[in-house]
Amino acid sequence: MSRSREDELRFAVRELAGQARTAPDLAARAIDQGRRLRARRRATAAAAALVAAAVLALPFVLLRPDAPARVAAPDQTAPAGTSTPDRTAGATASPDVVVRPTPGADWTKRALVLPGGWVVAGAMLPGPSGDGYVLDRGRDRYLRTDGYDGVWRAPQGAVSAVADDDRPGEIGLVDAAAGKTRWHRTGQWIMSPQWSPDGLRLALTIFDKDEGALRFGVLDTTGDFRVFGVDTDTYLCTDHCFFTWSRDGREVVLQQTDPNSRRSESERHARRGVQLFSPDDGRPTRFVAMPGDPAGPWSWSPDGRLVVVQGRTEPLLVEAGTGRVVRALPTADVAWISVDRLLYRRPGGSRDYVLADLTGRELERQPLPRELVGREITVGPR
Amino acid sequence: MAEETDGEFTAFVNERGDVLLRIAYALAGSQHGAEDLLQNALAKAYARWPRIRGDAEPYVRRILYHDQVSGWRRRSRRLEVPVAALPERAGDRDSGHDADLRMLLRDALLALPPRQRAVLTLRYLEDLSVEQTAALLGCRTGTVASQTSKALAKLRHLVPALDDADQEVSR
Repeated sequence: MSRSREDELRFAVRELAGQARTAPDLAARAIDQGRRLRARRRATAAAAALVAAAVLALPFVLLRPDAPARVAAPDQTAPAGTSTPDRTAGATASPDVVVRPTPGADWTKRALVLPGGWVVAGAMLPGPSGDGYVLDRGRDRYLRTDGYDGVWRAPQGAVSAVADDDRPGEIGLVDAAAGKTRWHRTGQWIMSPQWSPDGLRLALTIFDKDEGALRFGVLDTTGDFRVFGVDTDTYLCTDHCFFTWSRDGREVVLQQTDPNSRRSESERHARRGVQLFSPDDGRPTRFVAMPGDPAGPWSWSPDGRLVVVQGRTEPLLVEAGTGRVVRALPTADVAWISVDRLLYRRPGGSRDYVLADLTGRELERQPLPRELVGREITVGPR
Repeated sequence: MAEETDGEFTAFVNERGDVLLRIAYALAGSQHGAEDLLQNALAKAYARWPRIRGDAEPYVRRILYHDQVSGWRRRSRRLEVPVAALPERAGDRDSGHDADLRMLLRDALLALPPRQRAVLTLRYLEDLSVEQTAALLGCRTGTVASQTSKALAKLRHLVPALDDADQEVSR
């Protein structure tokens, strides 16, 4: 949109807002309503405390095991993760694709193993959400999450990061095995926290609105927290910016906008590569050229030579360093699980995970349990 | 204690209420809707005042936007501003008149879905960047970009005069 038209739109929005007339007694009305709200909250909290006291098996208050009372018939022919692959099921499947049976209703009782041997580590509703499932690796089962305002399961290890709207500027680390939540003050962060591939460190994207400064925070599961500033004049990132990790977890990655490319709000900004930083001291370490954004540490090949990125118009498999495009792929949100195998949510079919080769040819497909369809899923090595 | 809370809260509303009401109006599109939206947000702020007292305005803004794009819409669709007919298309008029264009844009804004209007309000009323908008709405920047794009596409459809190509800009 042209600058003049953008200004017209800005004027129009402001004129619309300017039609507001001062509201009388706003504070008094809000106080009345707020008091009723507070009274209801207290009553609800008291009731919840009674329930919590009755359910002594809970490992911790807000993260609880999936209710075992829900006894639905499991898939008798092939329980999840232990089934014999079915080469014929699936009306849309290619004859060459191995299609596993859909896990039965008891899928939460064991780790859901995906094609290639990785597992579903967590599954949450889209957006910051506390509604979902996390894998308790110690007991090899899923816990139902409830009560938090955001839950991010580490791909490995026992820890989940959690957020609570009542604790702004803090992140909780929940150890499912120990049943403990420890809160850490981090200051306000934006975007989703990003776990290192080993599940031991969390990268936070911190934007200081007042100063216009971009920083990243690194929270260690030991509780150590450090924040590092980034010179955004030198390391320009616009559009979709968040700190994530390199494949080996030794560096933090930030997308880099091509400063010479025309930018528009109606399309992805062109990238020139990614800048890597040390998570230990914030020092810029290296620049890696590529024409798009890696979704996370698993986007990189195990040897780091290739990477799957979201290009300006399509997902791409590219050479890290030269940026040479090898080929287009069906999705950019992949886990590169071995030398020549990619694991990803089947594009246009959120019900399935597929194992594919580097050309995007599907080899094996795992339909998800009904409860996981539509959720954002974190996968991790078994 | 309660008197102290009430006093602080009332002072806050007296000082910032009009600014917040402008935002609420841009989101709700009517005086009645804006007052309801803001009152709900302020009530939530009051209920949590001891925790948010030093940071009340960002909290209320966040609730305003969140309620607008989620709970508010779920609770009652009838509270959205009804637009009986599409705004008159600017192409039928003299697009050289900025006042006319703005009036058409204002009407067209009311025809946008709540989430799209919320994104435009953040971008154009509050002058927030994509990242800041995403942070406030609790969504990905890609979502903000796509919602902005859809909103602008709809506005262009409703007000063709907006579609003049000129210099591309970005924030």
